[in-house]
This record gives sequence, structure tokens and C-alpha cells, in this order.
Amino acid sequence: MKIAGTHEIQAPREVVYQALTDPQILQRCIPGCESLEKTADNTYVATMKAGVGSVKGTFKGNVRLEDMQAPIHYRMIVDGKGAPGFVKGTGIFNLEERNGGTAIAYEGEMKVGGVIAGVGQRMIEAAAKMLAAHFFKTLDDEIGRGDSWRPASTPP
Amino acid sequence: MSKYVGERIKRTEDPRLIKGLAHYVDDIRLPDTLHVAFVRSIYAHARIKAIDTTEAANSAGVVAVYTGKDVAEKVGPVPCAAALPDLKVPDYRVLATDKALFVGHPIAAVVATDRYVARDAADLISVDYEELPAVVDVEQAAQGGALVHESFGDNIAYKLTSGEGDIEAAMKSADRTVSQKMVHQRLAPIAMEPRGVLARYFPGEEELTVWSSTQIPHLLRTQLALMIGIPENKLRVITPEVGGGFGSKLNVYAEEALLGWISMQLGKPVKWIESRRENVQATIHGRAQVGTVEVGCRNDGTITGLRYDVVADLGAYHQLLTPAIPTLTGLMLSGAYKIPAIQMNVTGVFTNKMSTDAYRGAGRPEATYVVERVMDIVAAELKMDPVEVRRRNFPKANEFPFHTATGLDYDSGDYEAALDKALDLSGFKSLRAAQAKARAEGKLMGIGISSYVEICALGPSQAMPAGGWESATVRIEPTGKVTVMTGASPHGQGQETSFAQIAADELGVDINDVTVIHGDTAIVQYGIGTFGSRATAVGGTAVLIAIQKLKEKAAKIAAHMMQCDASSVAFEAGKYSRQAATAAAAGTSEPVVPVGEAPAGALPEPQTNGRTSLTIQEIALAAHIAKEIPPDTEPGLSATYFFEPKNFTFPFGTHICVVEIDKDTGAVKIVKYVAVDDCGKVINPMLVDGQVHGGIVQSIGQALYEEVVYDDQGQLVTGELMDYALPKASQVPWFETDRTETPSPVNPLGVKGVGEAGTIGATPAIVNAVVDALAPYGVKHLDMPLRPEKIWRIIKS
Amino acid sequence: MIPAQFDYVRANTIDEALSLLAQNEDAKLLAGGHSLLPAMKLRLAMPSLLVDIGRIKDLAYIREENGRIVIGAATTHYQIESSELLKTICPLLPQCAGHIGDMQVRNKGTIGGSVAHADPAGDWPAAVIALNAEMIIASKNGERSVKADDFFVDLMTTALEAGEILREIRINRSTGRTGQSYVKMHHPASGFAVVGVAANLALNGAGKCQGASIGITGVAARAYRPAGVESALNGATLNDGTIASAATHASDGIDVNGDLFASADYRKHLAEVYTRRAISAAMESAR
Repeated sequence: MKIAGTHEIQAPREVVYQALTDPQILQRCIPGCESLEKTADNTYVATMKAGVGSVKGTFKGNVRLEDMQAPIHYRMIVDGKGAPGFVKGTGIFNLEERNGGTAIAYEGEMKVGGVIAGVGQRMIEAAAKMLAAHFFKTLDDEIGRGDSWRPASTPP
Repeated sequence: MSKYVGERIKRTEDPRLIKGLAHYVDDIRLPDTLHVAFVRSIYAHARIKAIDTTEAANSAGVVAVYTGKDVAEKVGPVPCAAALPDLKVPDYRVLATDKALFVGHPIAAVVATDRYVARDAADLISVDYEELPAVVDVEQAAQGGALVHESFGDNIAYKLTSGEGDIEAAMKSADRTVSQKMVHQRLAPIAMEPRGVLARYFPGEEELTVWSSTQIPHLLRTQLALMIGIPENKLRVITPEVGGGFGSKLNVYAEEALLGWISMQLGKPVKWIESRRENVQATIHGRAQVGTVEVGCRNDGTITGLRYDVVADLGAYHQLLTPAIPTLTGLMLSGAYKIPAIQMNVTGVFTNKMSTDAYRGAGRPEATYVVERVMDIVAAELKMDPVEVRRRNFPKANEFPFHTATGLDYDSGDYEAALDKALDLSGFKSLRAAQAKARAEGKLMGIGISSYVEICALGPSQAMPAGGWESATVRIEPTGKVTVMTGASPHGQGQETSFAQIAADELGVDINDVTVIHGDTAIVQYGIGTFGSRATAVGGTAVLIAIQKLKEKAAKIAAHMMQCDASSVAFEAGKYSRQAATAAAAGTSEPVVPVGEAPAGALPEPQTNGRTSLTIQEIALAAHIAKEIPPDTEPGLSATYFFEPKNFTFPFGTHICVVEIDKDTGAVKIVKYVAVDDCGKVINPMLVDGQVHGGIVQSIGQALYEEVVYDDQGQLVTGELMDYALPKASQVPWFETDRTETPSPVNPLGVKGVGEAGTIGATPAIVNAVVDALAPYGVKHLDMPLRPEKIWRIIKS
Repeated sequence: MIPAQFDYVRANTIDEALSLLAQNEDAKLLAGGHSLLPAMKLRLAMPSLLVDIGRIKDLAYIREENGRIVIGAATTHYQIESSELLKTICPLLPQCAGHIGDMQVRNKGTIGGSVAHADPAGDWPAAVIALNAEMIIASKNGERSVKADDFFVDLMTTALEAGEILREIRINRSTGRTGQSYVKMHHPASGFAVVGVAANLALNGAGKCQGASIGITGVAARAYRPAGVESALNGATLNDGTIASAATHASDGIDVNGDLFASADYRKHLAEVYTRRAISAAMESAR
């Protein structure tokens, strides 16, 4: 299952890239991510309580950042396993300067297994889109909050 | 004399089923029963690096946890009975050992004091998987790439070529050749009752009883005895009520052996009832062939040859008959036609999916679909009427027995008669007129025909992996009640009724005096089972001949009791009578029989003195009391017969389907359905109608709705009935059914079998109708299921 | 098909249910159980406590009050389907109810449970949007009202906050000449809406549309109101041409969902077809 899109943020590309690779910010952006502990460079152990509505599951797994080319490109690999099955996601982020801000072109591929694959197929696409939307909305908030990058004259 | 055979006798099984008083496996409750839950693979293909069962094993209420390592040396592999040249047979352990090869592959079993604890504990087992590339696409798998079984070096289980005649010459001599690729999608049988097993070991007696929802109690007993290593005569298999099988319970499953073995380990009853989710994952699937058919024809529509190259998706392992199913396709590729040369080249291919095996029709629906689609494709190619193409290639009624280029001898038939009757019944001419009118109005209406032949009454033992005969014991009890024991244990077909009809007529007794017993290996003589539309033709015949044997003995006793020569005793309507000539010689008329006062608990004495006629039930009593029987005759009145059929039977018929397609959405609506089936002599028309109706419904399922879908990782994404679309009552049209009746010469009942006719004959009729409706768009073929989107895309383009 | 362990309490009053919800943040409300229990049996939902509000007497009712139709949240689909009152004054509701699941589902499932679950292919969300319903939500702090349009937030996500209970659905009784209809393509397996469209039209004597209110379900992550269709209809004289042209806007600006049965392309097309059909049927039914 694939999703793709572009998300624009009114912030410099370096700032966006920084945020997108900051484990603390990522933890808040990855939906339901309760902990993200570093185990190696760009590799983290994660606990996620993910789901939509009343359908929720706890997943344990890894988040890995790969192919990092600051500030234009990286790949995030998330895999988690829990009672409802497993989730494996790959997200490719390409950052481009646009209209004084940054356009994040993303391509995500999500693979699921277990119960969620067996019974959830009619909702998986919508769920993935919802989780992606949550990710970027939180990212907006995070970047908006940390405004040290803003020139003093720019209104907040 | 026929009082019951041929009549619409209501099923004697139904009251208990309707009232909820029947006993399925899960209705059998034994004290101290332990319950089993399985951990099943969530990957299609993965190495099992480690399994941590500690937390589960330490949970309150958990009695034992078993993994593949614990049982690999204790329980033998799941058996495959199909014997094909150079067949690769993977070692199929009851629990996965080092690798999981399909989603749903059992990895561990938890045994607990109740099913809730067992299920909770299953979640506490942690399996460390290393995911491996899944082999999903059957055509790619045949070419190479990732392997399901590394040691085999490729994914090819076997290759087989079958057929007779010079196919190359036939193609060369044809005016035209046409070829078409066809997909027979993977289906799930979805019996209403999922599988279930209850096993109870008696440590003192060293006996094991296994209750299982199966179609083959005796074959299962033999196989389980071998797998578990218990003497076969210490193992009893009981098949209680079975809520459908459709072939999926014509098998020996890992869970059946494992439960038996666990009960022996723990000395307690253990039970497992399959959930629907497990049922979709780990009960066999059906169909799953991708093939290309090439047909040669002359310009007048005569078929000169047919070649079918097919890859069959076998799944990861062989279940009981997995590799044999596609070979049945090869047998039936002549369909209802004279085709001088036929060749099938089949490649059986391993994939990381559940095994395919017999699902209602088992290889024959694929053949019929190929042949009946071909008839329409040829008609379109030659711009001929599909009806005429069929007629041109039918063997005539006087050409039977008819030898096909697939090596079969069709027993009897009049294919044109069934076709004509179906055309009449459907009002075919006016249907074509209505279609022309609809087309003129821009509407999409299609008419599809399918003239099928199927192979039933499986079968002569020479052609079967484990015996093709069937057994019956018929006993008349001292009280005159008739007990029929059949080896053909039913799973919904109604043999308790139809076999009672046969017995009651043949014995001249009231049908209510007959009880049919089946499905208990400790009571019933060895038998084969109910599948392959064989129960009546083979098992019913065994009942008939057992009765005839019994009657020979009864006649001897009757003669002795009536003090006459056996040759002067005649049987009619349940009575043995002394023929007039000898009666006159004896000079007696029938006296009034005084009712004897029997002491309490003693059997009533037969009052036979001086009688000139005796009912068979009276003779039964005398045979048990054994005071008035000939000195050279065994007491008791029972007979057993094992009937070995000399050939298969070949039912046939024509189905006609009319569809309308919603141009806006592509949705197909079946507006008329006519079925004329010829299943030989009919024992109970109501049961035949039921079989035909049910079969057509499953065909509608295949044609329009059903498909087991594995995604590119081998995940089973149609894992519940939320996504796997079985047709519901509201999606099914009214059926107009009729019959022609061409008796089979193969058995004395003249019956052919009807259990699979619907799923064999109907699917192509529906698809032909849809393709016909879409003919204005130049459509020649469409693969099933014909979901609305697929059709909308054609209309749109 | 065995759920994880959970506790169960049957609430006798709404206040009792609210207290229980407040005490346990992991609690879920149980009404008819036809959405939640299947998810629990698959262990996709594992609440620790179920608060059963399905037997609270004053949560199941259908009444007409001051020109408004009020329906208790625990009213079953069947009660709505068979309501003579609704057949007369708001036929869209019984018609929609008749499309839900099967007889057993309709006998147990409730309108409140269904809209609170907010399945993207549920039938009720389309109907309550088309009827401009107000959702009355109770909590410890009293009651608030949310318009149906604002109630469905995202996939299986509603405006209901933790500790809140959907208590009632209110619909203004339409006056004047009204036409209503719900049409649907049933998923052949689940029976859910591949596409479901509810249309509620106010017409003048000449057949001119004075107000169109449409709800669409099954197409996106949540049910929605196709504003483009409504504005094209408002003020228009309804005929095949105007209806067809309006229906082309059925999924304007909508991120259309795709699945195994229907791709996004096809669904988008179905949304238009069924929107056209719903409007035509509503017009036909106008009295």
C-alpha cells in the first residue's frame, strides 16, 4: 500500500530537515509513539500505540533513518510488531525550497501483516493517510513552536 | 416396487437440525476437557529463529505448550495420498519446525483449562521470525526466483502430460486455431461449520477416540493411526453431525493428529474448534489454476483438437489430494463433446499459500469452464450460434459408451435432449429476441449456455488413491427395525433419508422403521466416505446389494418356516409368500394367529405355524431366536456388501443464464436461471433440487464474487467473511430446474450423482452470459470474479 | 474469535455511564455491539471495561417534539426501519435503516453506536448529514450539540471527546414539499456501503429545488457533504440534465478511498452515479 504527497511548511529547509531527523520531534510526530530510544546512530527502539478510533494496538519495533543527505533527502524505516500483526513502513522524504518555505515530497509504502492485513484492507489506505496527516500536522506544530530560526522581524 | 424411491421425501435429518438439537463436534462436552489454541504464522514465508513460550507456559490455567520441535519426532507428517510420477512431496510436520511457509501455518499449540485462557496464552508466545521473500505469483514461481522448499531446487512439484490423439496433427488440420488465457481464481470452501476436533484418550484401555468434522472417518482413522503411532483398532473416529464440507473435510489435517497425540500425552480430552479466521487461512482452498487453452476447429464449428497448458497453484504443502486435483481437470477436457485429440500439460507449483485441494467439483469445474468458454469463443470466432457449435460436437445418444481423448468411457447420455429441454424451458428464441430489443435500446443483456458433463461416482479402485468402493451393512433387528450402516458418511447430503428410501423400498418396510447409521468407525464397517458425488451411486448401491444378499438368506428362512422349497417363495411388498401351487399342495389357508403371552423381558415368539406368508420383519425375529431356521443357516439377519464400481458415471446437463448489466456501474444481475440436469435415476427429487440449487449458488460465488486474495507479500487479505464474498440469499435468483433421466448402466440403481453438478455446470453459463452481454464491446473473455469495476472499465473504454 | 479479557458493567442511567467513563479512560461504551464486538473478537480493540448503555430505557425512543424529530442514541436500526411515524415524516431514516447489514444486525445495532463508531462505510453518517441533524452529546459538564457535518472528523474519529456520550439525534422536521432518498451499492461480502448517498430535497410546486442537502458515505475516510452538488442544485429546476450535471461534483476535493473491491477511480465514478440516483429518487418521492 503506497501513499505519496507533498507537504509545505513555512520554514527554511535546514530547519525542517533538522526537525524531521530529531528523535524527540519524531517521537511526537509518529502517531502513538510512546518512546523512542536510541540504540545506534540513527536507529531507535520504539513503542507505538497506534490505531484509529476504537481499533488500537501496541507495537514494538524499530525506527531507522537511512540514506541521509542533509538537508534534501532521507529515508525512514519503521517496523513494529504487536498482537494485531506487524507494520513495516518506508518513507522517503525529499525536501525542496519553495515559496520561501520548504516542500516535503514524501513517498510512503506500508506493509502490514497478521490480523490487520486479514481484516483491515478496506480501511488501511485511509488509515495510512490519516496517520500521515497526523505526522505532518504535528511537524507543523513542532516547527511552529520552535521559532529560533525566525528572523526577529517575521511575525510569528 | 417403488414406494419411496423417486418421491420427494422430507429429510429425516432436518427436524433435529432446525430445532438446534443436532450434535456437532463442539456440542460434545466431556468433563475435564482441555482446550487448544494455535499460534499461527503471520508471515507467508519466514524462518523461525526462536519461540519463547515461557510466559504462556507460566500462565494460570495453561497445562502445556507445544512447538514444532516438541512434536516433530512424535507425530508423523500430514499425508498426501496422491501418487504421481516424480512428485515432490515436502515433509509436512503438524507444527512448523524451522520455517513457516504460509500465513496461518501452525507454529505452536497452547493447551489450557478453557478456551479463553488458551487464546490469551497464545498471545503471550513470542515468535522471532526472519522474514523471507514470499512466493506468491504462481506463474512467476514456476519460472524460478525465491523458493518455497529450498531443497527441491525449484518450485515445481510435478509436470504431467495427459490426453490421447495426435494434437499437433489436429491443430494443423484445423481451419483455425484460437487460444485464450484463463484464470480460475483461488476459492475458499467455507463450510458453515468450520473444522473441529475433540480427542479423548483412555489410558487404561489404551484407546483413543477422535471426534472430527470430517467427510472420511475411516480413511482418517487409518491415517491418524499411522501419524500418531497407535494401533488402528485402538483408535475410534466419530463423525458427528457435519455442517458441510464441500471437499474441504475430505482431508487429514495437522490439527486432527496433534489433538489426538496431545490427549495421549495429557490423558485428558482436548478440544479445538476452528475459528472462521483459521478456516479461511488453514483449511484447504480450491481451484487456483492459470492456463492457456488452444483449440483447433473447422469452419463448420467442428472441434479438431484442444490443448490446455496450465500451472496449478498447489500452495506450500500437499494435503491429502492436492497434486491430484489438476489431473481431474485433464480427465474432463473433452466436456460434452467429440474432440479427437486432447492434451493437457500441467505444472503443479509450490507457493507460500495454503494448500489447494478438493473443493466441490475438484478439478472438473476448471475443465468445464475451459471447454464451455471455448465453445463460445469458437462460436464468436466463426460467427456461429453457440448452441449450434455445441450441437455439432455432441456425441449422439446412440454413440454411448463414448470414448474420449482423455481416456474415459462416458457411460450413457443424451446431451441434445438436455440442451433442447433447457432451451425450451428458458424460452430461448424469445430470449434472443428480447436481447436484440435490449441492445437496440442500448441495454446490456446477455445469455449464457453451458452444456456440461461431469465425472461422478468416484470411482473404480484402480483409479483412486485409497480404494473407490463403498460398503454397507444392513441388519434387521429382532423387533423388525432396519439398521443400515454406510461407509459413506454424509456431511449434509441427506443419506439418512435417501438410503432409507432405498432400503425401505427394497425391503418393503415402512421408511420410519429404517435408521441409517454412519460416521463411527467402532460401529460401522470400513468405508471410504462422501465426496466426488459418489455416495448414492457407490454407497447407495452397496446398500441395495447388501439388502439383496440379506433377502436371499431371508428367503431361505421363509421357505423353511413355511415348509416349502426356497424356489417357491416369492417376495413382494415386504412379505415372503408361498407360491399358490405349493400352498394348495399344503392344503392350508392362512390361520388366525393367536397372540402369545410372552414372559416379561423375553422376546415375543414368532407366530408362524402354518402361515403362507411372512413379513421380512417376522423372519428377522425368527432369525434371531434361531429355533426355526434351516440347520445350515447362520442365526441373525444381516448382510454386508462392499461395492466396487466398474466405471465412473457421467451426469450431464445444460444450464442457461440470463444477465443484465448496469451500464453505469458494471454490476451484473442474474435475471433468469434455467438448469436441466441429468443425474440418472433420481432417488429423491427434493435432495437433487437442493444439490443443484446449492451448487449453482457456489458457482454464482465463483463467477461474480469470490476470490481468496494474497497480496504480494503473501498476506491473506480476504481473511474474513467481511471481505470474502459468499453469495447471500438476496444475491441469488430464482432457479428453474428440470431434469432428463438417462439411467447409468454402471450400477443397478441407475444413479449417476449430483452433488457437484451445480458448481461444474453453472459457472461457465454465468460467465458466458456476461461475456455475451459485453459482446457489443468486442469482449471475448473475462476472468472471474466478474466484479462490477472490471466490467465498468470495459464499458468505459 | 475470542476477545481479550474485559470487565462489563451495565449502566442503568446516563449519569451512571458517565461516571464509569470518567473513572476509566480505557472504557468503551457498548450499545448494540455490532461494530465494537467484532473488533474485540479480532483483538483489534481491547478495552478493559465495557459500559453497556444499550439497556438504558431513556436512550431508545423516536418522538416528535416541537417540530423536531428526536431519536435516542440507543434506538435500534430496526426500530427506525419500522417506525410508522418516521415513514410519514422522515422516510429517509427508515429507508437508510433498511439498507444496514441484515435482520440480526438491525435488531441489535443502534443508530448512536453506528454514528459514534464512524465507520467510513457506515450508512447512518450519510443520512444524518443530509438531514442536517444535531448530535446531542452528554458529559459530566452537561450537554452540547454538534452539527452532523462537524461530528465526523476523520476515519472512525468523531467530535466525541473522552468521557462523552452521544445521547440523542435531533432533526428538524421539514415543512413544505420534500423528497428524500438513500441509495447504496452494497459490498457483496460485508454489506457496508461501497458508496451510499442520502439526498434530502426541498422543492417548490414547480419542481424547483429550494434546498438540497446531500450526505455521502463509503467514498472517503469519513462521510461528507458534497457542497458542489448542493450549490448546483439549489435554485435549479430538477431534470435529468441538471441532476446529472450537479452529480459530477459528488467527490470534488475529496480524497477518495480505494480498496480491493473498488479502486479510488471507480469509487469516484460510483459517487457520481449514486448521487444522481439519490437525487432522482428523492425528486420522484417528493410529495
